[in-house]
Amino acid sequence: MDLDLNVRKDGDHSVLEVAGEIDVYTAPKLREQLIELVSDGSYHIVVDLEKVDFLDSTGLGVLVGGLKRVRNHDGSLQLVCTQEKILKIFRITGLTKVFPIHGSVPDAISAPAE
Amino acid sequence: MTSTVHLEIPASGAYLAVARAAATGLAAQLQFTYEEIDDLRIAVDEACTQLLARRGSATTLNVAYHLADAELRVDVSIEASDRGEPLERDTFAWQILSAMTDEVREQAEAGRLRLSFRKAGGRG
Repeated sequence: MDLDLNVRKDGDHSVLEVAGEIDVYTAPKLREQLIELVSDGSYHIVVDLEKVDFLDSTGLGVLVGGLKRVRNHDGSLQLVCTQEKILKIFRITGLTKVFPIHGSVPDAISAPAE
Repeated sequence: MTSTVHLEIPASGAYLAVARAAATGLAAQLQFTYEEIDDLRIAVDEACTQLLARRGSATTLNVAYHLADAELRVDVSIEASDRGEPLERDTFAWQILSAMTDEVREQAEAGRLRLSFRKAGGRG
């Protein structure tokens, strides 16, 4: 299974919709997309994980890398996720304390900047 | 009764989806719940990914699924002429693997590096 990425602008935010499975094979594609967004000046990114069927530690590492990049520009990286199986991975690794996780894209966009 | 399914895949991340799919199918056969299947799927993925990171010149990764009544035991192994350092425990991968399974063991023997774990579920 492949990984599909779709980017759209919503005001100051770039919304990156991710669909498919994020593992050691597909994670580089996500990493490159995040790097490209930041190099193009998008420092407020919302990553929508609602259509992600699988996420492992490699994928987590890529998201943490993205967070570090936007923070270097005083930006933000927020996640949208309501799937219990994916949320569980964030909880186990303590990353729910690192990423703001929202129930919908509008909630993420309207969330106050940290 | 115990049955074993052996899977040999090329030592490349491109084939991990196959190892996960096999885990899903076998766990369903043992009547694992959806949550138990999700846990198993990620545990297999993390174990394989950790060994692939040590693949050196190895060309294949072996995954053995041992099916018992209410338990699936998984052995992932790869050829490794040099044992190297033990796998790091302070990683997201290890946190996930140990949280999702009932027991994880790491062994080095006869030129192979092996990660084994148990996952109880289903009819038990």
